[in-house]
Amino acid sequence: MLKLSQLWRTTTVRLTALFLLIFVVFSVLLLGLIWWQTTMQLQKAQTDAIDREAAALVRIDADGGFRETLNAVLRLAQQPGPGIYFVADQSGQMLLGNVTDLPPEVLSDPGTFTFNYERSRPPGVDEDAPAPTGTALVRSVRLESGLILVVGRDVVERRGYSAIILQWFGIGVAGIMVFSLIAGVVTAVRVLRRVETINATSRKIMSGSLSERVPVTRRNDEFDGLATSLNQMLDRIEQLMQGMKEVTDNVAHDLKTPLTRLRNRAESALRDGQGDDAQREALETTIEESDRLIKTFNALLMIARAEAGTPSGAFSELDLSAVVADVAELYGPLAEDEGLELVAEVVEGVRLNGNRELLGQALVNLVENALKYYEPVEGKAGKITVSLRKAGPRVLIEVTDNGPGIPAEDRTRVVERFVRLEKSRTMPGSGLGLSLVSAVTRLHGGEFRIEDNAPGVRAVIELPGVAG
Amino acid sequence: MKILLIEDDREAASYLIQALDEAGHVTHHAADGETGYAMGSSMDYDVMIVDRMLPRRDGLSIIESLRAEDNHTPVLILSALGEVDDRVTGLRAGGDDYLVKPYAFTELLARIEVLARRSSPAEAATSFAVGGLNLDRLSRKVERDGETIVLQPREFRLLEYLMKNAGKVVTRTMLLENVWDYHFDPQTNVIDVHMSRLRGKIDKGHDNPLLHTIRGAGYMIRE
Repeated sequence: MLKLSQLWRTTTVRLTALFLLIFVVFSVLLLGLIWWQTTMQLQKAQTDAIDREAAALVRIDADGGFRETLNAVLRLAQQPGPGIYFVADQSGQMLLGNVTDLPPEVLSDPGTFTFNYERSRPPGVDEDAPAPTGTALVRSVRLESGLILVVGRDVVERRGYSAIILQWFGIGVAGIMVFSLIAGVVTAVRVLRRVETINATSRKIMSGSLSERVPVTRRNDEFDGLATSLNQMLDRIEQLMQGMKEVTDNVAHDLKTPLTRLRNRAESALRDGQGDDAQREALETTIEESDRLIKTFNALLMIARAEAGTPSGAFSELDLSAVVADVAELYGPLAEDEGLELVAEVVEGVRLNGNRELLGQALVNLVENALKYYEPVEGKAGKITVSLRKAGPRVLIEVTDNGPGIPAEDRTRVVERFVRLEKSRTMPGSGLGLSLVSAVTRLHGGEFRIEDNAPGVRAVIELPGVAG
Repeated sequence: MKILLIEDDREAASYLIQALDEAGHVTHHAADGETGYAMGSSMDYDVMIVDRMLPRRDGLSIIESLRAEDNHTPVLILSALGEVDDRVTGLRAGGDDYLVKPYAFTELLARIEVLARRSSPAEAATSFAVGGLNLDRLSRKVERDGETIVLQPREFRLLEYLMKNAGKVVTRTMLLENVWDYHFDPQTNVIDVHMSRLRGKIDKGHDNPLLHTIRGAGYMIRE
C-alpha cells in the first residue's frame, strides 16, 4: 500500500482535495450569504416597524395633540413584546414609558441609536437580583406638541435568532466537510485501487512475465477502456517479441546448419588422415575460423536477445555474491600464471532477481578483457580487483586493474558493437564482449560504464538491488 | 553403444553416423519427429541424440512424450539455438544434456559416452578409485597410495567429476558446465590452468600419471 507522503503526490488525491476545498469554500460562502441576508431582513423588519409606529404617533400628535399621543404611547407600552416606548417633555423629563435609563443624547439630539439598557424585571422575580440588560434600537423624534418621543425595539431576541441560525449553519458546514471528506477518501481509494491494479500488472510485465494482462471489469468505465487498450498493446508487443524470437531462431538455424556442415566436412577430412601437412593445416584453420565465426554469431544473438529482454523463465532469484566469487575463483589461477594478482572483494549475501548465466558471462567478459589487455606498468605489481559492494539501494560490480587504462575519449566508444581500439586489433576477439556486458546490464535494469581507475580501467556494472 | 539419432539434416546425419561408427557405436537414424518418436518408444537405446527443430514433430515434444511413458534413456539435445532460456527449456523438457550447433565431434562423442554411463551405478557411488587414487565423496578425502592429498573445494569437485567418468574423455566445456555450472566458451585457457594445478597435486612425485590430456578433445583420468 502507498505511504501517506506518496499518497499526497497522486493526482487523484490532489484533485479530490482540490474539489473538496472548492466545495467547502463555496458552501461556506453560500451559507454565510444566506445568514447575512436573513439577519438583514430581520433587522429591516424591526426598523420598518419602528419607523411605522413613529410615523403613526407623529400623525396622532399632529391631529390630536399631546394628550392623544400620551394615550396612544401608554397603550403601546402596556402591550407585551419587544417594543420600547418613552415620552419626555421639552426639558427631557420622563413622562411615561417602559424604560428608564436612556442615554441623554437620545433626548437631546433626535435620531437613531443603539444602546444597552436595564430591562424592567418580569413580575415575580426577586427584587435584589441584578436587572437584566437589554440592547435597544430606538428612534427619537421631537413632536409638534414639543414632546420628545422615543420608539424602539429590544434587539436581543432578534440577535439571538441570528446567532442560532449562524450556529446551525456552522454545524451544517462541519457536516458538509466531514461528509465530503469521507466521499473524497472513498472516491480516491477506489480510483487509486484501479490505477494500482494497472500499475501492479505493468510491474509484473516489466519484470518479464509478458503474458500478464490488466484485469477488465464489467463496469465498462474509462479504466476499462484504458485497460482494454493496454491489453491490446501488450498483445501486439507479445506478438512482435514472439515474431522477433522466431526470426532469430530461424536465422540461427539457417546459418548454423551450413556452418555445421562446413565444420563437419573439415573435421571428417582431417580424420581421414589423407593429404599433406599443408592441407591438414588448412583444414585446421578452416575449423578455427568457422568456430570464430560461430562465436561472433552467438555473441550477436545473445546481445540481440538480451536487448529485446528475455522471457522471465530465464530470471530467478540468485546469490550475486556467489556468482562474483565463483568468477574470481575461476580466473584467479589464470591471472597468477600471467603474473597478475586477482583480488576478490565481495560483500556476502547480495541477492537479486536475474539470470546467473548472463551475469556470469558479463563478468567473465570483463575479467578476460582485463587479463587480455593488461600491460605491465613500470615498477608496479599487476593487480586486478573484482569487487561486489552495495551503494545505498544499488549494487555495484566492479572490475578494476592498474594497467595503462583506456583514454578518456575512447571510454564510451569501446562499449559499442565491433569497436576495437587500435592496439587490440592484433589480438583475438570479436569486439562484442563489452556490448554484451552492456546489454546484460540493461536487461537487469542497470547501467554499465567504464571509468578511470587512475591508473587503469574501472569497469562498473551498476544494478538496482532487490527492493526490501 | 546403440544410439538413436533424430536429425532432419541428412548430410549432418550421415556424417554423424559415419563418425559414430568409426568410434565403435551402432546408430539408428530417423529423419523426422514422428518416426523418431516411434523408434525411440519401441526400441531400447543407450543414448538418444535429438535435434530440436524437426519436421512433423519437434524434439522437445518427443522427449516429453518419452519421459511421460517412463522411458529414461539419456537424451542429448542438439540445437542451433544456444540461448540460456532455450537450454533451460530443453533440460526442463527432460533432456539430459544440451549441445549447440555447430559442435566438434569430439565434444559430442565425449558427452554421449558420459551420458550413457548415467544409467550405470557410478552416479550413486560413494567413493571412486583409479589406480591407487581414492576419493571418498562422504568424508571428502582424497588419497594416493595412502598419502592424503589436500584439495580446495573446487579442485575436489573437478577430481570427483573426472573420476566419476574415469576412462572417458571429458571436454573443457563439460568441466566448465559440471564443475562451475557455466555454459559458455571461455576465450582463454582458464580450465587448463585449473587442470595443471590439479595435476600438480595428484600426479607430482609419481611415476605413472593418472590425469591425461587428450589432444584436441579434453582430459581423461585412467590408470
